[in-house]
Amino acid sequence: MDYIDKYPDKLGKFGEFGGMFAPEILMPALNELIEAYEKHVCDERFMNELNQILKDYSGRPTPLYFAKRYSEFIGCKVYLKREDLNHGGAHKINNVMGQALLAKKMGKTKLVAETGAGQHGFATAIAGAYFGMPTKVFMGEVDIKRQAYNVYRMQLLGTEVVPVKSGSKTLKDAVNEGLRYWISNLQDTHYLMGSVVGPHPYPLIVRDFQRIIGKEIKEQIIKLENKLPNAIIACIGGGSNAIGAFYEFIDDDAIQLIGVEAAGKGKETNKHSIALGLGRRGVLHGAMQYLLQNEYGNIIETHSISAGLDYPGVGPEHCHLKELSRLKVGEANDNETLEAFKNLSQIEGIIPALESAHALAYLEKNRKDFSTLDIVIVNLSGSGSKDLSIVAEHVDFKIKPKNLLL
Amino acid sequence: MEKNRIIELFEKDQERKGKYFMPFLTAGDPTINQFKKLVKAIEPYSDILEIGIPFSDPIADGPTIQEANQRAFEAGINTKVALEAIKEIRKGTGKPIVILTYYNILIQGAETIEDALNMIFKKMKESGVDGIVIGDLPIEEAGLTLKACEKHDICLIFLIAPSTTNDRLEKILKVSRGFIYLISVMGVTGARENVAQITKNIIKKVKQKTKEILPVLVGFGISQPKHVRTIIEAGADGVIIGSAIINIIKKNLNDHEKMEADVIDFASSIKKAMKEAN
Repeated sequence: MDYIDKYPDKLGKFGEFGGMFAPEILMPALNELIEAYEKHVCDERFMNELNQILKDYSGRPTPLYFAKRYSEFIGCKVYLKREDLNHGGAHKINNVMGQALLAKKMGKTKLVAETGAGQHGFATAIAGAYFGMPTKVFMGEVDIKRQAYNVYRMQLLGTEVVPVKSGSKTLKDAVNEGLRYWISNLQDTHYLMGSVVGPHPYPLIVRDFQRIIGKEIKEQIIKLENKLPNAIIACIGGGSNAIGAFYEFIDDDAIQLIGVEAAGKGKETNKHSIALGLGRRGVLHGAMQYLLQNEYGNIIETHSISAGLDYPGVGPEHCHLKELSRLKVGEANDNETLEAFKNLSQIEGIIPALESAHALAYLEKNRKDFSTLDIVIVNLSGSGSKDLSIVAEHVDFKIKPKNLLL
Repeated sequence: MEKNRIIELFEKDQERKGKYFMPFLTAGDPTINQFKKLVKAIEPYSDILEIGIPFSDPIADGPTIQEANQRAFEAGINTKVALEAIKEIRKGTGKPIVILTYYNILIQGAETIEDALNMIFKKMKESGVDGIVIGDLPIEEAGLTLKACEKHDICLIFLIAPSTTNDRLEKILKVSRGFIYLISVMGVTGARENVAQITKNIIKKVKQKTKEILPVLVGFGISQPKHVRTIIEAGADGVIIGSAIINIIKKNLNDHEKMEADVIDFASSIKKAMKEAN
């Protein structure tokens, strides 16, 4: 394929997806952001400055680790891209440090963000502290209850966590409230979008800050194996870790790119987040994308055991890559994910984030697709320490500390 | 095809001597029936009726309208039910009706977006709708919608914000039909205590550009007769009031008769303030 750097077009379109479906009041701010992107992010000096921060502060490059025992378990060569070893425990740091640096250059003094699981909120809180910018994070009340640990962490870093009571009180409503806040505070505030979603130029900016994952993978795998992988697997909620891992390989047609969505309690139930696989085209949060919606165009509530994948839409570039048949869309449900979560923990001593465990679960389910010498890279987008309370509560999960006391 | 009522209204008043009141109600709030009654009650005091078709994720709306949407969804509202209600309302009024909604509501039910837009605007026209405001459709994305609106003789009404730059303003004015919906504040919808200086300035700026082309109606944050006077005196051709009316609905959810009476009192106080300002 001849794809890289061709999309989006000037209006932010990835084929028919993406765009700027935003209230008029936001348009000048989005145009200002486009200008800042062109001026700074396309400038090598800016990227050098950012890369230095990521090296010194977050420990990049993250390892590409050959998971020997897990490979034996699966039956092919499995490499894990250890984004979980970033400062903050996830790939989110790549994006927040980039956007906060950009905001600084634009003369903005405050940050506002949305968060689902709290991972992006926590990462934004880190960036806020690092750059000395007062930070507000909007978070659904349901998620605040599910992710109390991350709420404490954000507050400890000096960020104000604002509970969202509207709608389903989860991620999509946090985006709505964050955008509403931004509309009233455009002068001094940068909206720090957490994934490759939202109106142009966010899907472009966030992708470019996450590309570092794939760039490193390419260098590392050549060094380790002297060839490119057969497949790269990543989970997709909004899709920022996936686009980051995939992007450098899009033009290498032989490499399978597999995005794994959250099948929640099952495809046949209404409790899932399979936007790419089962959604219809529509507009939410400023972009044309595949959406889980009813026949009248109202967004329906989604479900996943991992709050980070619990979102009714998906980044427009993934929609486009699916249309081009370049992206293979897979899925894993809650139970399969918990199984993979346990497997990686016990076989490799690495606790994956529930989000990333979806990618592992896909591999475990589809191991027959790969032969012994095939190289498969799984983007381990985050660490699972944040998920322990959810996992421990899960009825189907057998390991519980209290069992020791029986 | 009968003439578009918005165009007709402003053609009769080329010198812009009239001052126009466009109240907003959410279709189906608090119930489908009570909504129809409220429209009937407010109709005599209004010049244009604005009706919201709720969307689940209205990013330009504040908590008041979000809650109204929620009540409407619980009452069973959807696009089909809303247009049936409007068809009935149309039988009782000759005044222009404008829909406010979000883009995703309009692109349903067909393979292509063109077909979906043509289908919905045809239905709207048949239901007696004259204009539409789309909360998340800036001019950059409006190509297909403009075409479909033109085909079905519906005015696509664009929003202008205090942040709108001059070159955007020019582009918007070039394709606007009916009137301009001027957002008076940098924020979302919702009643506010005062009219800011920025509002007066932006009205003057936009009026200078639109004088002979389009009337300018001002909305967002207007809740009291004194706001209306300030805004009309700053040169606006009319006011749009939504959240303040919805607050009356919310306050009287248990007493529908009082709800109607209070809405009428409020609407007449606004109309009176407009006459005084004239």
